[in-house]
Amino acid sequence: MRSIRHFFEQSWLLIAASFFFGLLIAITNAALSPKIEQNRNSKLNELAGGLLPDATAFTPIAETIEIQALDGKQQRLVVYRATTGDRTAGWVFQVVGSGFADKIELVVAVDAAFATIAGFDVLASNETPGFGDQIKYSYYRDQFKGAPTDGLTLVKGGDPTTIDAQIVAITGATVSSTAVVRAMDHYLPQIKTQLQQKGLIGHGN
Amino acid sequence: MATDSDGQTCVYKNTLLAGLWRENPVLRLLLGMCPTLAVTAAVKPAFTMGMCVVFVLVCSNVMVSLMRNMLKPHLRILMFTLTIATFVTIADLLLKAFQPDMSAALGPYVPLIIVNCIIIARAEACASKNPILLSIVDALSMGAGFTVALCVLAGIREVLGTGKFFDIQVMPKAFVPWAALSMPVGAFLTLGFLLGLVALITKKRS
Amino acid sequence: MDTVYLLITGFLSVVLINNLVLTKFLGICPYLGVSGRIDMAFGMGLAVTFVMTLSGTLTWLIDHMVLIPLGLEVTRYVCFILVIASAVQLVEMYLRKFFPPLYDSFGIFLPLITTNCAILGLCLFLNLWGIDSLLEAVVLSVGGGIGFTMAICIMAGIRENLRMVDVPECLQGAPITLITAGILSLAFMGFAGII
Repeated sequence: MRSIRHFFEQSWLLIAASFFFGLLIAITNAALSPKIEQNRNSKLNELAGGLLPDATAFTPIAETIEIQALDGKQQRLVVYRATTGDRTAGWVFQVVGSGFADKIELVVAVDAAFATIAGFDVLASNETPGFGDQIKYSYYRDQFKGAPTDGLTLVKGGDPTTIDAQIVAITGATVSSTAVVRAMDHYLPQIKTQLQQKGLIGHGN
Repeated sequence: MATDSDGQTCVYKNTLLAGLWRENPVLRLLLGMCPTLAVTAAVKPAFTMGMCVVFVLVCSNVMVSLMRNMLKPHLRILMFTLTIATFVTIADLLLKAFQPDMSAALGPYVPLIIVNCIIIARAEACASKNPILLSIVDALSMGAGFTVALCVLAGIREVLGTGKFFDIQVMPKAFVPWAALSMPVGAFLTLGFLLGLVALITKKRS
Repeated sequence: MDTVYLLITGFLSVVLINNLVLTKFLGICPYLGVSGRIDMAFGMGLAVTFVMTLSGTLTWLIDHMVLIPLGLEVTRYVCFILVIASAVQLVEMYLRKFFPPLYDSFGIFLPLITTNCAILGLCLFLNLWGIDSLLEAVVLSVGGGIGFTMAICIMAGIRENLRMVDVPECLQGAPITLITAGILSLAFMGFAGII
């Protein structure tokens, strides 16, 4: 009996404070979580809206898409359907490539038939400033706008303005350029097959 | 403050000034080095980090000061940690809600404020011994000192590393950015030379 | 085979490329403070590796077994720091009781470790990197500790020699250590891209 009393004498403040702090966190979380959720969506909408300017809404599809990541793990991917009115304008999803120093997170948009890439944007990367981080700049990114979704190759020289399956590497940042192309080549065909199996896009082309 | 006796006013004034230079947490006491180096590639994240630290510092100092007479000595550090962790969680939620870009940029360095030695040092050295008002003044002064040091460091790194200040181009077009300053190496070198400069100034004054 | 390859690359990445001290700036305080003597530095490194492995594994388990299933991710930071603090306390008591020689060699560093940001930092990075297998979490925790030990020992070695060098007066102490760390981090950048 005495030991229990001793325990409470010593720790009542700790116990009271834990309850109080728990309550404080719960209140803040309850007040702010809708706003945080909204921010997360608007960030993706903003990036995706830049890639698919025609689209008016982005909604995650109900079907689960299972893909194999670059490191061989199975993972679940959320694919967003971009719509203009009732018509599907394209598909948007987030993939992760393996860059020079760390992971590169990309948001990729493709057209409604999954035939050509509409564009990509870098969500997060840790590439060397001045070299690898040039993958964020438009002269590299623009090469992907309209490029086919399967079989991209990286070339060292060439004309970056022509739109084809050949992507011209950034001078001094071959690893980062390769990382983007490899991520595209790895993920896009998988997602395409999955969407075809689920009957969301046609089997044509 | 002025209504108090002269000695009292003096204490407040001293506390207020201490954090900015004499006991500047970063430049003089070398506390909280981890965020100092990690988030100072640009001024905006550095300033945001500074504000987060001010928020956590003020809240935890108030809390600790309120319960200073009830603290059991051996559970003291645990109480401090719990208080700080709670307010850091709240700061993190606030940042996610109102500054989502900054929250993404600062990443794990926001929760790492929990183990920032400045906050626990102030709780131990000041708030657990002094009344609320003095604890708040102390928190504000230390927080301001931390923020200023971070912004100076970030200012140097951003202007020379990218040619911008607060995301606005300030250097002439012909200026070639010293990209190395935006990388980890830039953080170490700039802080090293800044501390050297502070040591030089202190020596000249005395 | 794939798993082994994954573990090896993960280990190398956390030791060399994403070294906690030199690229993530974690654990700088002990790095500046204790790295004057190489044997002290090694003791500190061992203690950190030990606690890091323990707390990295524990926090990963708690995160995946308790917090995520219950949807309590918001209390993650509070839980993590409490787990780390209690792990340190337990290790300290255990060592003092059962392995006094070991306690004498690195026990004195243990209380310092609770506020070592490398430990909490690693736990948070495990969460951020989306590590989803226990084995990988353990390997990365050990790697993080070894990376810390390596960085702090290299630094201690350099500082032992630095004592015989004529450093400008205003740069003595912390400034020259930071500048040395900068050059080291530049050297470690060379490892980027090996995986």
